[in-house]
Amino acid sequence: MKNRLNIIFNDGKEKIGKAKTIDELQNLKAHFLGKHGAITDILKSIPLLEVSERAEIGRLCNKLKKSISDMIESQKEKIYLKESAIPENFDFTVPGILPPSGALHPITQMCYDLNDIFRSMGFEIFEESDITSELYAFDNLNFPPNHPARESMDTYWLEPRDASGHSKLCLRPHLTGASVRYMQTHEPPYRFVYPGRVYRNESTDARHERAFFQYEALIVDSSFAFSSGKILIKSILSKVFGRDVSVRMRTGFFPFVEPGFEIDMNCLVCGGKGCSVCKHVGWIEIMPGGTPHPNVLRAARLDPDKFTGFYVNIGLDRLVMMRYGVDDVRLFHSADLRFLKQFS
Amino acid sequence: MKISLNWIKDYVELPKNMDMTKLAYDLTMSTVEVENVKYLSENFENIVVGIIKEVYPHPNADKLRICKTCIGGNELYEIVCGGTNLKPEMKVIVARPGARVRWHGEGDLVEIKKIKLRGVESYGMICAACEVGLADLFPPSSEGEIVDLSDFDVSAGSNVAEALDLNDVVLEIDNKSLTNRPDLWGHYGIAREIAALYDLKLKNIAPFSAPKVKILDVNLIENKRCRRYVGAKLSGINMKSSPFEIKKRIWSAGLKPTNAVIDITNYVMLAVGQPVYAFDADKVNGAIIIRCAKDSEKIKLSDGKQLSLSSSDLVTCDNDGLISLAGILGEEKYSIDSETSNVILEIANYEPSGIRHTEMRHELRTESAARFEKGLDPQRCDMAISLLFQIFGTIFENMSIVEYSDIYAVHLPKKEIDISLAWLESCIGKHIENDYITRKLEKLGFKVEFNSDNMHVLVPSWRATGDISLKNDIMEEVARMYGFENFEPLPIKTSFNSAINQPKVDLDRKIREYLAFRCGMNEIFTYPWVNSKYNDALCFDTRDMLSIISPPSADECYVRSSLLPNLCKAVSENLRNFSEFSIFESAQVFFNRNFESAYDSREVLPMQRKSIAGACVSEPKNLFNLFRKTKGILEAMPKYVHMEPLTFKKVNKPNWADSVVWLNVFQGKETVGNFALLSRKSALACGIKKSIVMLFELDIDLLKPYTSRTNEFKHLADYPMVDYDLSLLFDLSVKWEDILDTLNQVNNQLIHKMSFVDEYTGEQIAEHKKSVTIRLLIGSFEKTLTSQEIKNCVDVVIDKLKISLGGELRD
Repeated sequence: MKNRLNIIFNDGKEKIGKAKTIDELQNLKAHFLGKHGAITDILKSIPLLEVSERAEIGRLCNKLKKSISDMIESQKEKIYLKESAIPENFDFTVPGILPPSGALHPITQMCYDLNDIFRSMGFEIFEESDITSELYAFDNLNFPPNHPARESMDTYWLEPRDASGHSKLCLRPHLTGASVRYMQTHEPPYRFVYPGRVYRNESTDARHERAFFQYEALIVDSSFAFSSGKILIKSILSKVFGRDVSVRMRTGFFPFVEPGFEIDMNCLVCGGKGCSVCKHVGWIEIMPGGTPHPNVLRAARLDPDKFTGFYVNIGLDRLVMMRYGVDDVRLFHSADLRFLKQFS
Repeated sequence: MKISLNWIKDYVELPKNMDMTKLAYDLTMSTVEVENVKYLSENFENIVVGIIKEVYPHPNADKLRICKTCIGGNELYEIVCGGTNLKPEMKVIVARPGARVRWHGEGDLVEIKKIKLRGVESYGMICAACEVGLADLFPPSSEGEIVDLSDFDVSAGSNVAEALDLNDVVLEIDNKSLTNRPDLWGHYGIAREIAALYDLKLKNIAPFSAPKVKILDVNLIENKRCRRYVGAKLSGINMKSSPFEIKKRIWSAGLKPTNAVIDITNYVMLAVGQPVYAFDADKVNGAIIIRCAKDSEKIKLSDGKQLSLSSSDLVTCDNDGLISLAGILGEEKYSIDSETSNVILEIANYEPSGIRHTEMRHELRTESAARFEKGLDPQRCDMAISLLFQIFGTIFENMSIVEYSDIYAVHLPKKEIDISLAWLESCIGKHIENDYITRKLEKLGFKVEFNSDNMHVLVPSWRATGDISLKNDIMEEVARMYGFENFEPLPIKTSFNSAINQPKVDLDRKIREYLAFRCGMNEIFTYPWVNSKYNDALCFDTRDMLSIISPPSADECYVRSSLLPNLCKAVSENLRNFSEFSIFESAQVFFNRNFESAYDSREVLPMQRKSIAGACVSEPKNLFNLFRKTKGILEAMPKYVHMEPLTFKKVNKPNWADSVVWLNVFQGKETVGNFALLSRKSALACGIKKSIVMLFELDIDLLKPYTSRTNEFKHLADYPMVDYDLSLLFDLSVKWEDILDTLNQVNNQLIHKMSFVDEYTGEQIAEHKKSVTIRLLIGSFEKTLTSQEIKNCVDVVIDKLKISLGGELRD
């Protein structure tokens, strides 16, 4: 009897191990464990055995039943593991179905990146209207009445010239008037950015545009050392370019700051060694900045003896051109999808 | 501007081992941007002095000759040359093999090699001035002449740069960085900066003393615009070219030598930044008058240009006519010529804005005007006069000053500035010793006094007209001398009151991100000036628009009152490359009305609204889907961007819209925009022939953001809910909105949602009928419904639709 059990075990082990499909396995299960299966037959014959043998054979038989059943289960798992719902020649190199692929304009993307950085540093975002008055564009900021920027050669003046008998209107030539509007309507100290498009009446080429985007940031507080501005600029640029960027501040003249700085960034293309991008000097002019001019503070009805601060003006077009290697500034206003779709 | 280092050395003694790269760097960091450092000797490698020993004909060419030339050593070299002035013992410039020259002064530099010219080997070439960049210093008197150095004490074989002392270093300075520094428009000014940067001694220019001679007759009428007029009449001038030393200086600084008189005036200008105008005294009749021009008064300038002046131009004149356009350029008639023997020198000071206006009005740019427009100090004339008399006296032995006049009409006020040292330290972020401040500022010409906590500064006249007027300016002087790089950045201190919460700002961004990332649209930017063709195509009324006085082009003179015209232009242009796409733009639009200002009663601004507009483009056969897609963009927007829902109603048809497919967009009771198919007529006018365009435009300023998310949690049903689809036939005139209204009247507690699935017309559907598939969501919160209960619900719906709208269940 024991011998028979051994034969069944070996037979089962061999056949189950070779089974390749779930169906085969199902048949084997019936063959060994089914109503008329080999083990069932033996179990049925136990009452016919000697009394002394019954207990041991019964035990062995149950053990065998369990072994066979385990073997079937484990083979079943093996088969499932190998199985695929998909035919063998399925081409997994076909491309995926893409979600809708729209995009923000690359300048908007840069602007939002900067907004996120500045917001994380506690700056508010302010937007001024595109059309402003001579009062805010020039008078308030102490541009002398005959300053060249006031000429129609430089600024887009609008009709009606004198809508109310007061001031002339223009498409804003810079954003500084916007900062004055913000300061007039908020309480100091100030930390805010004011991105926007500005307009200059000039001829266009690959490097010049009539409409371009600026991003200005202003801190006004009772004390602020301009050397701290370096930290501000370094933080911004490192975040924009995703790596540590060296900056330097050197003397420069800009109408809304005193002292003014030309802020240079270590050339990312050559790492400062000098290349054609940085005109072989290793540095790239990236933005002007400085301490807000007392006239700007006065226009905002602040006492320049009591307030100081830091200002930067980031040319977004230029920064985006550097970020992607765009070689023609006019593409930004082209609305050409062949260009814009590259920024999805 | 070009700065010659040899010239600088006249005024300040530079350390022997001065590193030019460092000098350029330090000037860039602290003073002005040095764009380039040029070593003039680099152009003269392998270019040497030669002495022609023999000249004989070339066997194979009539115009060429062979010169046996000594270029140092005993050996004579044969050089083939076509020069017309070749003669034995002539000293010439020889480009040896390896030298780089410009053939006939044109094209790129070419390396000289030993080659055969018509069968005769030539050891390099004998050069014309233009071939080695010396045409301005050695102008040939006729074509084909080579440079004759016979008058120079130079030896054969010596390098030309050394022999002629052309070993200069030229700093090229970006003029933009000089706009606010009138003091730096001459070598002396730059020398002063260098002296201050490196603590070197600046040499003085000999003080000026007025000659005691007859008074030159000058009548200064416009004494506000001409703040000082110094006139000096010199006799004993014989026309000649200036000494090589003078020529070389002005040539290194980028000007072209002409004759001694003009060269000296240029020399003085380049030295101290003060323009000097010289004209022929014998041509002057009567007093020199400085007055405004008469309207339409004509002048022919010395460069040949004819101008018609206006009363805002300043001129000098005599009894006969105009002598000059003051401070800019002289009249041709009074120019120095070969006959001139008496000269009047004008050393004047003109008010900058008048000069700038005349320059712009007549599109003139001269070295003189470039300096006056920056604002020069009248005291500077003294330095110029002193230098002028000294050099004229040296060059013209018989020169004497015969008449002289100095009308000093406007003395500019002295500028004095008081600065608190505590303020200085807080702005600079560092304590700087008083001694240091004094030393540096005094080198720059300031006078400094300290009294306890304050410093009192007297600004030198040459800085008072330009960049120094405030204590911030003095702070900058101290900081730039200390070096901006040498300040340790201090951490930024901050105080916190509340988190930033700007829902309006966020709304704009969320809408853009929704359209780009959720709806797959591309953001575009177009100009605020609208293209007339597209504005007319979409029938926007220009009476409601502002216009640009000098527009970018004739068909772009209005600023837009809607984003749609330029958007349609973008559609039309992109159709060249794409047939299906969707784009949007967010920007302001402007209206010629509702003038007001929230900021200042002295200004009024027109109505300006922030707008967002989109266009979805496809082929005509996709109209129904394109309509639903675009409408879906608007319907789903409020939930994504957290604002009140948008609804649609027909109230006012936009002019540009199709006669059927249009809707006004509402938020609450307020119209916030339009949504429609671009009419066929407008599309054709835009050049869009084979495509359909769905457009929307919303006024972002009107949209109301929620302060936070508003959706509420709904309990999940404990029992199954069933989707039940029904297709019914309706007359074509029945709208989904009618069906929805009817369904809403059913009011059955077990029906939770009724939605549109599909609409179909065509085969199998009777004419004038359409099949609409509706999905009902049916279920109970108390139990699982039996199929009979579900059927009862459906039957109620079917009955209602049949009675109200004549809907028939499809077989």
